[in-house]
Amino acid sequence: MPPKKFSFKRYRKFILPLIILLAVTEATAIVCGATFGKLSDGIFNGLAFLGNMYPPDWSAFPEMLEPALQSIIIAFLGTVFGTIISVVFALLAANNLANPWVRNITRVFIAIERSIPEIIILILLVAAFGLGAMPGVVALSIGCIGMLGKLLADIIEEIDPLMIEAIESVGGNKIQVIIFGVLPQIMPNLISYALFRFEINIRLSVLLGAVGAGGVGYELEYSFGMLQYHRAFTAVIIIIAMVFGTERLSYFLRKKVKTEGALT
Amino acid sequence: MTAIDFTLPSKKFKDKTTVFAVGTVVVALCCIYTNFNPLAFFMEFHNVRDLLGEMLPPNYRTLTDDPSTGYAILQTLCMAFLGSLYGGIIAVIIAFLAASNTMPLKSVRMIARFTLSFLRVIPIVVVILIFVIAVGPSTFAGMLALVIVTIGNFGKLFTEIIENVESPPAEAIYSVGASRMQVIRYSIIPQILPTLIANMLFAFDVNIRSAIALGIFGGGGIGFKLQLAKSVLHYKDVAAIVSLIIIMVILTEKISDYLRRKILGEGKLK
Amino acid sequence: MIEVKNLTKSLPNGRKLLDGISFKVKKGEFVGILGPSGAGKTLTLRCLNGLLKPDSGSVIIKSENSQPLDICKIDKRELRRVRQKIGVIFQGYHLVKRLSALENVMIGRLGQISTWRSMFYGFTDAEAEEALKALDQVKMSQMAGMQTGSLSGGEMQRVSIARAIFQSPTLLLADEPISNLDPSNAKTIMKMIKPLSELMPVVGVFHQPEMTAKYCTRVIAIKEGKLIYDGDPKLSNKRLEEIYGEELELIEQQEHMIPVTAK
Repeated sequence: MPPKKFSFKRYRKFILPLIILLAVTEATAIVCGATFGKLSDGIFNGLAFLGNMYPPDWSAFPEMLEPALQSIIIAFLGTVFGTIISVVFALLAANNLANPWVRNITRVFIAIERSIPEIIILILLVAAFGLGAMPGVVALSIGCIGMLGKLLADIIEEIDPLMIEAIESVGGNKIQVIIFGVLPQIMPNLISYALFRFEINIRLSVLLGAVGAGGVGYELEYSFGMLQYHRAFTAVIIIIAMVFGTERLSYFLRKKVKTEGALT
Repeated sequence: MTAIDFTLPSKKFKDKTTVFAVGTVVVALCCIYTNFNPLAFFMEFHNVRDLLGEMLPPNYRTLTDDPSTGYAILQTLCMAFLGSLYGGIIAVIIAFLAASNTMPLKSVRMIARFTLSFLRVIPIVVVILIFVIAVGPSTFAGMLALVIVTIGNFGKLFTEIIENVESPPAEAIYSVGASRMQVIRYSIIPQILPTLIANMLFAFDVNIRSAIALGIFGGGGIGFKLQLAKSVLHYKDVAAIVSLIIIMVILTEKISDYLRRKILGEGKLK
Repeated sequence: MIEVKNLTKSLPNGRKLLDGISFKVKKGEFVGILGPSGAGKTLTLRCLNGLLKPDSGSVIIKSENSQPLDICKIDKRELRRVRQKIGVIFQGYHLVKRLSALENVMIGRLGQISTWRSMFYGFTDAEAEEALKALDQVKMSQMAGMQTGSLSGGEMQRVSIARAIFQSPTLLLADEPISNLDPSNAKTIMKMIKPLSELMPVVGVFHQPEMTAKYCTRVIAIKEGKLIYDGDPKLSNKRLEEIYGEELELIEQQEHMIPVTAK
């Protein structure tokens, strides 16, 4: 049954957004130099290059294990310190604990931190302290504030005010309120967010390493820079194993926290 | 559950102290291993002060004097936009191949799922280094890297979104003799479209940040400018660029937030 | 007309869900299937549409201008063709909530138009008008443009009836179409389904003997997978007890809630 009368009216709703989308895409493609021919070329070049990188240089494997450990530790320390700082910021940013002035200022600070990519913090810290693990750990810790601080503050604000009042009514001071009323409440969330952040930090520590914080990221950058592609491939494999491993681990632990409330 | 089921305070205290002590020792060992002294950050805080002294006040003249800075911002935005768009579209296509309610062949589903979980674990820095060598350092390389990373980050989520759609409408459409394609078109796509678009906007947010980092590794854009200004030690320029980046990130976030609310709000269900 | 012969379906452990069910439905009939929950009513109905394959037995569909077909023994492609002519009304409405009422009605014809045409929402205006007429028939035309997700249960069920009308099937199946609705809406829906039986055989699964007594022309009762009654829709109390057993009390409670005036 062929269409008898076919009007284009029904597409009116879609045509304008579609044209705008296409125009913007075209314009951005010109800026990026991403025409369609180049696009497919680029992807195939990338794949072909991957072929060139094979096989990995296993002789470099042992000497990369230590940098890998370093990366993991940097991510771990960044997460630990970052979580501690974030809890402080979250307490200051919760409207049921802090006074409005402190709260708003902390919230603004958190929002600004959230919009600064970690890499910029790191570059500035490297400029201040020189290369090494310290700028990496500090950058990751500060990076936690934006995400964990906001999430935790939101959770603290959802705590039943009656519970805080109950502790205050028996004469508890602010610190007791925090220790007995707030921390146990947010602990499960805190742990699962921290684990999630640890996953992100593992990736970031590789990225930061490539800029100068050391670790396996530096090995990767160095191998690419020295055009030792087989060696770089080894680093890639180690990085992927690292990311995959921490992801599984954090998934497992988070599930445990969720189901059993363990670790609290 | 027994009637008396609680831990004695003394035991609880002991448990907590043990966990705390072990944790502290582990952290301390890690600190020693990496030569990281948390106090050093505060003891040597004068370094930060010195740097800030170098940076302030920001030299905004560099933005007006050098029009390429504005262009670099544009490049970063374009990179993030195209990366999210192409990456999102490819992610949707792979997600359709990976979802059990759209793809009947198990083998295809397995391949698609494997591809997605593989792309998921590759960090962005690996991807950009590969593309910089494959196509040369440029915005184009950055964009390609963002495409790959977007597929990895959002492919699995999209698969889950597709698999979680209501299945009864699909059954009704099958019952009038429709084909699988028609079920996808009339039941699955209308249900997932708003969520997909909202997630693509979110991908754009994430990609803006990534795009800045990519610039430092040869992906072009404002990140490259920043790296350049830093390597010639023009810290006042660095400060200007950083403030510009913050404004850009906050602005794009607000815009995409607004659009997202509009899209999700439009199709709000009871 | 539709003829069901010796329908049997069992679980892997040997328990029989359907045990030799046979009946015939002709045009002009509105058959209600009754039975306690878990008796196999819905299973039977699903076999009629090929949504479920029975272990043995046959479902033969004959229409005026085509060969009789046994839908238990045809391949997927043919099954799709047969389904184009079988309308189904579901208990949970089964509408795409994000599409408008009119679009949901259009879905009824998807099987009949080519896949490519349907990809671009390529319904003709004539078809849209017809769909609007179908909506008008269920008194929903003024809500044609609304998202179905924002409609009430009764309205959604009316849209799904319109979908079945627009499909112009040769057989209409209804799977507990009124179970999720309040009494007045249920009556409205029954009144809308009833006239359709003039055009095509209608088979419905119901849980309300009062409703079937009032609107159906014939009642079939299934218990533990067996057909135990086939005949007049007005059932005596003894018969009801025989059909429902212990569940009768529940049904009667339900009747208290549904004020049915006709006795």
